[in-house]
Amino acid sequence: MKRSASRLVYTIIVLFVSSVAVFYAIRLSGGDATAAALPGSATEEFREEFRDRLGLNEPIYQQYFTYMGRILSGDPGNSLTNNKALTDMLTEHGLNSLILGGTAFALVFLVGVPLGILASLRRNSWADQGIMSLSTFAMAVPNFWLALLAVWLFASTLGWLPSAGCCGTKQLILPATVLAFEGIALTVRMTRSSMIESQNSDYVRTLRAGGLSEWRITCKHVLRNALIPIISLAGLRIGQIVGYALIVETIFGWPGLGQVLVNAVLRRDYPVAQFFSLVLVALVVLGNWLADTGYTIANPRLRKSA
Amino acid sequence: MNLTEEKTVSVNSDSYRPRQELLQIKDLRISISSEGFNFEVVKGLSLSVNENEIVCLVGESGCGKSMTALSVMGLLPRGIAEVTDGAINLEGKNLLGLSGRELRSLRADSISMIFQDPITSLDPVFTIGSVLEEIVRAHRDVSRSEAKEIAVQALVEAELPDAAKRMDSYPHQLSGGMRQRVMIALAIALDPKVLIADEPTTALDVTVQAQILENLRDRQREREMGMLLITHDLAVVASVADRVAVMYAGEIVEEAPVDELFEDPQHPYTQGLIRALPDISASRGSLHSIPGRVPPPQVPPPGCQFTPRCDYAKDACWEELPILSAKGTHSLRCINPQQFKAL
Repeated sequence: MKRSASRLVYTIIVLFVSSVAVFYAIRLSGGDATAAALPGSATEEFREEFRDRLGLNEPIYQQYFTYMGRILSGDPGNSLTNNKALTDMLTEHGLNSLILGGTAFALVFLVGVPLGILASLRRNSWADQGIMSLSTFAMAVPNFWLALLAVWLFASTLGWLPSAGCCGTKQLILPATVLAFEGIALTVRMTRSSMIESQNSDYVRTLRAGGLSEWRITCKHVLRNALIPIISLAGLRIGQIVGYALIVETIFGWPGLGQVLVNAVLRRDYPVAQFFSLVLVALVVLGNWLADTGYTIANPRLRKSA
Repeated sequence: MNLTEEKTVSVNSDSYRPRQELLQIKDLRISISSEGFNFEVVKGLSLSVNENEIVCLVGESGCGKSMTALSVMGLLPRGIAEVTDGAINLEGKNLLGLSGRELRSLRADSISMIFQDPITSLDPVFTIGSVLEEIVRAHRDVSRSEAKEIAVQALVEAELPDAAKRMDSYPHQLSGGMRQRVMIALAIALDPKVLIADEPTTALDVTVQAQILENLRDRQREREMGMLLITHDLAVVASVADRVAVMYAGEIVEEAPVDELFEDPQHPYTQGLIRALPDISASRGSLHSIPGRVPPPQVPPPGCQFTPRCDYAKDACWEELPILSAKGTHSLRCINPQQFKAL
């Protein structure tokens, strides 16, 4: 409990620091908000008045406090480009992202862990070598290239799947796979080495000396121990998926948070960029916190002693 | 009352009564292959352990004693070490010829092993009770509550304090000595005939060492188990052994009942080991040590393996490996035995 509480404080600090960083970074990156919101023919005076109205001429720290106050009161404001409420955008695009990211996250573990187990049990066989080579490949390939390759092969050439769109199962397959690819590869390697380490441990020798069957030892004891480091890295996988979602959603035209954020940055839509950056940060932090909690549950050494 | 004396006498006379042979190792050879090397670590070892007897296998690190123990359990590290020749008979049945399933059913049930490092030897994510119960239920067709009863009883016999409460403890909640008691409980829960203990006290504090040894010996005597105790500590040998086999570079060089070995050690290596024991009455002077080091197993010397370090080596010692020949209960592998002179 104490551990979770200290993690919570830590989470709040991370959120605060990143909110400051996001806020300043967008303002320091140059460009002008009026370019997005106003037509090109708008006069300089009008633009100045517009900035005044938005509070963009205030000192930055003051803008920050005003902005945070609005977020905390539950009204983060509207988009500069289409005047949509940010909260509505969050519900709409957040759900899309959750579908894509959640699918990718599930794929990472549902595919990665079994493949890793298979490789560890058939160590040095052709299956192991095949899985390991493939995972090296998957880690080396940048996912924007992989995305284009997947579109070319499965959409343009074979015509099996749509190249872009939302939000059916068919449209989901390609982006989710691309998004999960590197995570799967990392999870496979992690699982394999973790399983092998556990198999060679002294406690497994003790269980063998106790006359338990190899199958039982592997399924119950080896696997359970091997899962601990895998769970502890689940938080990293979440961060990876959130980060890659920016690229993958843009390429596949998946209208999720990533795509919204990329567009907002390109258009200097401050409220949207700020708000959705913070949402992504919060997602990563929350994911890490969940993974940490899972780790504590899986590892009795971290539980409070009875 | 002369209770203690009577007890000692009865134990002593007991130890010379011929007993049923439980474990018999015959001409065992074990090879290790790693990184292109291939060499023998156990070279034709023969040893037997009888009912109600503690046999100590003594030797320095790397002489092959742990490999011998693991081979009896069928637990040699796969792909690295392998039995190339010989037989290991448990009550006349050759363990080397058994299928994996047959061997598994004997482990913990007929023959058990306790390992050196209790800290890493218990599964960290399960409670000790659940592992004990799991092993009991793998061998006996009993209900959960019956298995639990057997498990608690084993912990009580291993003298783990608060045994019933400790069933729900995880290994990390126990001290090293307590964990070794759990290991003992795992080993004796199913009342095996033979118990192998590989340096069971090496990793523990000196005070705990004595308690654990005493506990092991008490259980062994009660159940009349045959026990093979592997150690490099002659003080341990002197306090618990009935019979001692001294091992050097993969071979047994001397074997005798414990009193005889300490009174009349004949092999120069055994003599060196006994001289190396620190003597509390001689407070001055440096500790004795045997010069040189164990020959590398990749390039064994010709003849007797101990020749390069032996003070009494003759030309003939370099030429031929002497056989292990028995005179009464005392066996010796040396062509030039010397009268033992204590320092």
